Amino acid sequence: MRTVIADDTALLRQGLARLLAEAGIDVCGEAGDGESLLQLVEREQPDVAIVDIRMPPTHSDEGLVAAAVIRTRFPHVGVLVLSQYVEPAYALRLVSDQQGGCGYLLKDRVTNAAELVDALERVAAGELVVDRELVDLLLTQRRDPDPLGDLTEREREVLALMAEGFADRAIAERLWIATNTVETHVRHILHKLALPCDDAKNRRVQAVLIHLSG
Amino acid sequence: MNRVRTELRSRSPIWWVAAFAGVAIFALDLVGHLTQPNIQDTGVWIFLDTKLAALIAAGLWIWGWRVRLIGLLLFGWAIAVLAGDLMNVYPDSRSVATFGLLVYWTGANIFFLHMAFAYPTGRLGRHWPTRLLLIGFVYVGSVITVIPWLLFQDGRGCADCRPRATSYFFVGHSVSWLDDWNLFWVYWSWVALAPVFVWLIWRRFRMTSKGGRRTVWPFLTAFSLAFADLVIWSIDGGFGSGGSLDPYLTYGDISTAWLVVLGAVSGVLVTRRARGVVGNLVVELGRAAPGGVRDALARAIGDPTLELALWVPQKHGWVDEEGNEVELPTGDDRTVTLVGEKLAAIIHDPVLLDQPSLLEAAGSAARFALENERLQVELRAQLAELRESRARIVWAGDEERRRLERDLHDGAQQRLLGLGMALQLLEPHLDKDAGPLLEETETELQQALAELRELARGIHPAVLTDQGLAAALKTLAQRSPVPVELYACSGRLPAPVETAAYFVVSEALTNIVKYARAEHAWVNVTRNNGLVRIDVRDDGIGGANPTAGSGLSGLADRIGALDGQLEIESPAGAGTHVAAEIPCAR
Repeated sequence: MRTVIADDTALLRQGLARLLAEAGIDVCGEAGDGESLLQLVEREQPDVAIVDIRMPPTHSDEGLVAAAVIRTRFPHVGVLVLSQYVEPAYALRLVSDQQGGCGYLLKDRVTNAAELVDALERVAAGELVVDRELVDLLLTQRRDPDPLGDLTEREREVLALMAEGFADRAIAERLWIATNTVETHVRHILHKLALPCDDAKNRRVQAVLIHLSG
Repeated sequence: MNRVRTELRSRSPIWWVAAFAGVAIFALDLVGHLTQPNIQDTGVWIFLDTKLAALIAAGLWIWGWRVRLIGLLLFGWAIAVLAGDLMNVYPDSRSVATFGLLVYWTGANIFFLHMAFAYPTGRLGRHWPTRLLLIGFVYVGSVITVIPWLLFQDGRGCADCRPRATSYFFVGHSVSWLDDWNLFWVYWSWVALAPVFVWLIWRRFRMTSKGGRRTVWPFLTAFSLAFADLVIWSIDGGFGSGGSLDPYLTYGDISTAWLVVLGAVSGVLVTRRARGVVGNLVVELGRAAPGGVRDALARAIGDPTLELALWVPQKHGWVDEEGNEVELPTGDDRTVTLVGEKLAAIIHDPVLLDQPSLLEAAGSAARFALENERLQVELRAQLAELRESRARIVWAGDEERRRLERDLHDGAQQRLLGLGMALQLLEPHLDKDAGPLLEETETELQQALAELRELARGIHPAVLTDQGLAAALKTLAQRSPVPVELYACSGRLPAPVETAAYFVVSEALTNIVKYARAEHAWVNVTRNNGLVRIDVRDDGIGGANPTAGSGLSGLADRIGALDGQLEIESPAGAGTHVAAEIPCAR
């Protein structure tokens, strides 16, 4: 898998490049801001671009802006945004109208190579990836009436993984249950939350996220 | 009723004496006419006495009504004319002759002409030809004339005169020039000086402002007619038919005197109305909102272009009611009247200078209001300065928080992440025994990263800057352990307003979680008419004390710096309601 890294901190870029190289992932370029990232992507046509959410010049949401541009101009390039913030608003902005692979991960995940590589592979495969901490926030928020009140413990677990962007089979693996069972749970969940049954998995993730964040 | 009593009581003893004397002399005259109907044609004397009564009454009324000088002059004129008539009625009384000669020959001219030139204030102006004519000719001439009359007059010397009683000062009909002098004084001088009088009166009218003309024209017209009558009488008597016009002139004299009365009274009424305006001004000033003194003054003085300047010692300059610095005009088209010693300046139309008493009265009436106004302006300026500096301090604080948040992410967080990645790279090279220790270290590291993130978020949430208040509040609500029902209008607001609003909600929700034991919380952020309103309510135990060192008192300062207000209602057992209103430009 070929990736490029965009982050304004050299320390992090280099560390990440080494870590990914160790894991057998090809890092074919690094950029320090959104503008050079776009040039790099155009030149290298990587499978996934790893993008820091905050880069020069304004240090606000350049990563998200760059992600949107990449998704439009190079639809085959997946974008994994690394963010410092557990903010549903950012994540929703990223995944709400993306059809291809993209992800919103907390930057903390770079300290766990396995998790990071897993996310990269899923993005490369065209899936949506949402950080579990963010999903946690959405699932644990207190609401009254609680729309998740009718869900069983198991259904909540399935919902969390759905929101993180996992496909049924991946959910089944993680929960040590059969894929069929997961499918049943998913059907129940969608019914209870009054969400449409959509086979396209990215749309399912979007719907769940939007529903959860109210 | 009260008003009448006050007015009566306010009259001076001299007025009362004069009034009594005036009525007494008039009564004497009337009795004379009634008892000796053959002295004068009935129609004439009734007409004359009515005029005299009117003159006395008008004089006393105007005098009593605080336009003292004019009232006094009018009254004096009436008495002088009355004195002249008394001599006709009682031709044999030496007392009457003494009194009549003295008063008539001095008073009739002096009072009449002085009144004409000093109307409506009663004070002569600085115009020297007027003063020369009045003092040099009328006063001196009258006094010079009265002496030979007292000394030598016995009724002889005129063709149709009857012999009459002489004055107590009579020394004998022994001077040959008396008749010539009389002829000169009584007839010629008036004819000769008539053009001068006409010119002076015309000048006086021309120099009067439009407002002033409204006051003086009836009187000056009446006076001019009376004067014309006098001049015609002089021409007729001195050179012409020798009194053949007398009957007409007598009626003319009486009619014009009536007009003088009406003119004087109407002028006083106009002045009185002006003073009434000043009275209204006082009432209006009492009700005037800050900044309304100019309008009240402009209305009272009748100059819509009126401007007001207030002296601010700290600035060493003049400012208007809004506190903007102004220059006092120096040109001819505007006039400045100062109130108090460098308290305020009324900048007005120069024609108003003809009504100095009105300006003065209005200025005095407005003095305390102006003093107040100046203090208000000073206070407002200081407040504005204070508010600006407070807003700057808050803004600087916010900037500092943003910088701190960024530094935490760019500095400490990056280092920790670097450390985490180094640990990952280290792992394959370590002994298996080191596994648990490494795991522990990684957990610690995750914890440190999470805490750092929370810290940075508490200092300043980046989403607030990037995505706006609604998005930031949504996360706040999602994180709250107490269910929050949130409504926040979308659309961006000025950064200081968003920050203040965010921290109000954040602090209020923190307090709810900590103290309120609430089941629910409601957050409403609405924007209406350039005002952002933030309401945070809960259904908890209430009884919160906003002054007891809670973070909310600090927020009140922050909101105050934005000209907003924070209110906290927390009755025991009925939940807490935190309401903030912050103005924001549309």
